[in-house]
Amino acid sequence: MPGNPGTIDASAVELFKAKAKLATIVIAEVKDLAAAIDYAIEVTEKSELGKLMPTKAGTIPPSDPNRKKTLTAPSISDADYAVLAQKGEAKGFTMIRSGLRQYLAGIDVGFTVADIGIAETATSACENDSEDYRLASMISETHVLALAKSKIVKTSYDAVSYLKEAFGREHNYTSFISGPSRTADIERVLTLGVHGPLYMHIALMEE
Amino acid sequence: MAESMKNYHDSLKEALEDSFLRKTLDTFAVQYKVNRANIFADMNATELINEIADHKDKAMLKLDELYQQFVEQASKKGLHIHRASTAQEANDIICNIAKENNVKKIIKSKSMTAEETHVNHALEANGFEVVETDLGEWIIQLRHEGPTHMVMPAIHLSRYQVADTFSEATKQDQDSDIGKLVKVARYELRAHFADADMGISGANFAIADSGTIGICTNEGNGRLTTTLPRVHVAICGIDKIVPNIEDALRIIQVLPRNATAQAITTYVSWISGSSNCEINSDKRKIFHLVFLDNGRTSLLKDPKCGQALRCVRCGACANVCPVYRLVGGHKMGYVYIGAIGLILTYFFHGHDRAKNLIQNCINCHACKDICAAGIDLPGIIQEIRARLVEEEGSPISSTLLAKVMTNRKLFHTLLKFGKFAQKPMTSGKFVRHLPTIFAGDQSFRSLPAIASESFRDRFAKLNASAQGTPKVGIFAGCAQDFVYPEQLESAVKILQAKGAGVAFPYEQSCCGLPLQMMGEREAAKKTAKANVDAFSNSNVDYIVTLCASCASHMKDHYTELTGDDPSYKDKTAKYLSKLIDFSSLAKNVLKVTEDDFINRGAKVAYHSPCHLCRGLGVTKEPRELIGLAGEYVPTAEEDVCCGFGGTYTMKFPEISSTVLALKLKNVEEGSKDGIKPELLVTDCPGCIMQLRGGEHKHGDKVKVQHISEFLGHNLKSK
Repeated sequence: MPGNPGTIDASAVELFKAKAKLATIVIAEVKDLAAAIDYAIEVTEKSELGKLMPTKAGTIPPSDPNRKKTLTAPSISDADYAVLAQKGEAKGFTMIRSGLRQYLAGIDVGFTVADIGIAETATSACENDSEDYRLASMISETHVLALAKSKIVKTSYDAVSYLKEAFGREHNYTSFISGPSRTADIERVLTLGVHGPLYMHIALMEE
Repeated sequence: MAESMKNYHDSLKEALEDSFLRKTLDTFAVQYKVNRANIFADMNATELINEIADHKDKAMLKLDELYQQFVEQASKKGLHIHRASTAQEANDIICNIAKENNVKKIIKSKSMTAEETHVNHALEANGFEVVETDLGEWIIQLRHEGPTHMVMPAIHLSRYQVADTFSEATKQDQDSDIGKLVKVARYELRAHFADADMGISGANFAIADSGTIGICTNEGNGRLTTTLPRVHVAICGIDKIVPNIEDALRIIQVLPRNATAQAITTYVSWISGSSNCEINSDKRKIFHLVFLDNGRTSLLKDPKCGQALRCVRCGACANVCPVYRLVGGHKMGYVYIGAIGLILTYFFHGHDRAKNLIQNCINCHACKDICAAGIDLPGIIQEIRARLVEEEGSPISSTLLAKVMTNRKLFHTLLKFGKFAQKPMTSGKFVRHLPTIFAGDQSFRSLPAIASESFRDRFAKLNASAQGTPKVGIFAGCAQDFVYPEQLESAVKILQAKGAGVAFPYEQSCCGLPLQMMGEREAAKKTAKANVDAFSNSNVDYIVTLCASCASHMKDHYTELTGDDPSYKDKTAKYLSKLIDFSSLAKNVLKVTEDDFINRGAKVAYHSPCHLCRGLGVTKEPRELIGLAGEYVPTAEEDVCCGFGGTYTMKFPEISSTVLALKLKNVEEGSKDGIKPELLVTDCPGCIMQLRGGEHKHGDKVKVQHISEFLGHNLKSK
């Protein structure tokens, strides 16, 4: 793992923040994972109820007048999820932890935690072999990602040892994510949210 | 089916009349360069590109070994690997995978390799439903078109055309607002993602030491395509194999920056082995990888063109191509587009499809200058032209020219005869009436008259002293020897004023570039040797040429053109070491200063000749020289081609004239702060022919001069 646990490369963090702004990523600075969880709740609360898409059976019908906001976080620990679920349910959200394939019509907010950050491109990298983990960061209208400042390295080359370890596993799917889903395929006009999230937030954690 | 040249010209005209396409590509061409410069601002792009070229070359040398390593690593992780030697074989493999897995619907994320094999046709012919999920690819799939850009496949379409296409596809009226159109795609395609059985993706990298594939996308469709369906088939060329992650990361430093001026694509997915897939009984994805050869192995062994395999498919060669900018991708490639498209069409899709396309390169070197992998694209294009000539024989005009130009005396006699033959047609310095074979298409600019006395006939009368330091030999080049001798005379005047000795070896001939451009390889070799011989005994310190095209052709090709005769090895090296362009000689060797000139305050724009700024890398000196004897007025796109391109202007007048019009518009508009130039200075007689001829037709708003004329005119007499 790059970086020593607990030590923060302040210049890398500043670079990450500057590049994130260019990549239309909203940055929040929080104390720890508990605070990042609170931030995910806050973002969900403030987000508009997403317009869901018509798709095959098993998904929430788009016309359901009583539909509640949905929040998913398949990859965090049981204990962290318990905290998130309790807070989410208190706000009246539908909480989803697995089987995301059943929600392809869309989820309002997906919360994930990245393994490392690459400052020069505002990239968050994570091993996400679990399909639920991948889908949480793809089919949600808003993606909230937590990243420890101590895990931010300057360049992609600084992430080589992390990547080699990941690629060495029997099964591995590692993703670089550097902003909301984007396209410029029509008249070269930049448009966000073509297939994946329309919005991306990163909660940078001190701890 | 081979398209006739006439049909090709007709389709070019059609593209030139597409005002939406023209406007879009024009805006793109200008914005792209600014955006790219910004995104590379704090990096050394050249160094990075050289490293990529170097590593790609090394990887290609041990491709077999890397391939074996990849297979070994990836097989351990449950990846099924196939190798297809042809497009047909690849398609058969993919169709079989679909059949074996009882697939009905297939979704695809963007893959140029899949475009190369036309896999959609094969799958559809076998009864599978195929849906493209990249927005641009989906649009052109619905319209039954091919891509017009490797990265932005639907760049040729307006929002209104897309709205019409989507209205038809969804059977309801769709608004032309781009945000809403993107939502339509999101909704419609999400449903396809939900019930597709198989996903087909490309791969930007196949990493040998871990058996990992890497896929770059912005939209995220690549991630969904490789996540949702039970089966994933990736297809990639064997040239996409890299030794390790470092190589892939290095390419990612340049690929998105070059493609769309982004620091990185929004998503990069690294997949090693079969990933989690909840709907399969073992919860693992059925994962196949098809490596495509389709001519790559033989291209790899091709000493002159093999470097085309370095290509990382960024599409930048189209982004900066002045021809692409006018006619778009449907006319500037087949599947692959831009300069690399002309080349790969020849190697992957057959000589018939390539033979007209390959002629449509103006040789401005803009692509070579920007290529993410440092490929000598114009050099390979010229090589392919030579092979086509060897395969199919030369057109009569080209053979005749080759015969004439390899016989210096005959060539020069004909040029001298030309000045009499043109007599009834000339008016001052221009040809008044063109012979009917040129009239019409060539009338967009006046053509210069052949001078009444060539430089070689005038040189003796100049009484130039051969004594002096340094001793400078003049390489005249045909255009200045026979059409613009006054430009050379002006240079002689400056050389002598600065105390240099001047020599003019009479046995010199055409540099051979026109022959090279037409693929007349043997003739180009003969003229190269004649010129090296002409200067070998002249004992000069420098060989100066006032023609950037001659200079860059000699620098880039003489070593190779004379290389079949070992006795030329040292002679050619010596010749090239002495070769210098006029601006560099004046500024850096003669060290002219403002004291040498009377500065009359003339407002002077500059056209940066392709073969000077990119061919020789000279950009600073001419602008500084202008400042010594006038006021330099910067104008837009100074380094974009004037549209001449030697024989190109004769072959593609419809494009040449449009490129010229753009150039003159930029000059006449003046600088950003509204200063209008009265003079346009450049340092290549080919550009002068085009620019002066164009201005003549345009009412001579700006006077066009060679930099030697401009400086000579303002030189203080001693």
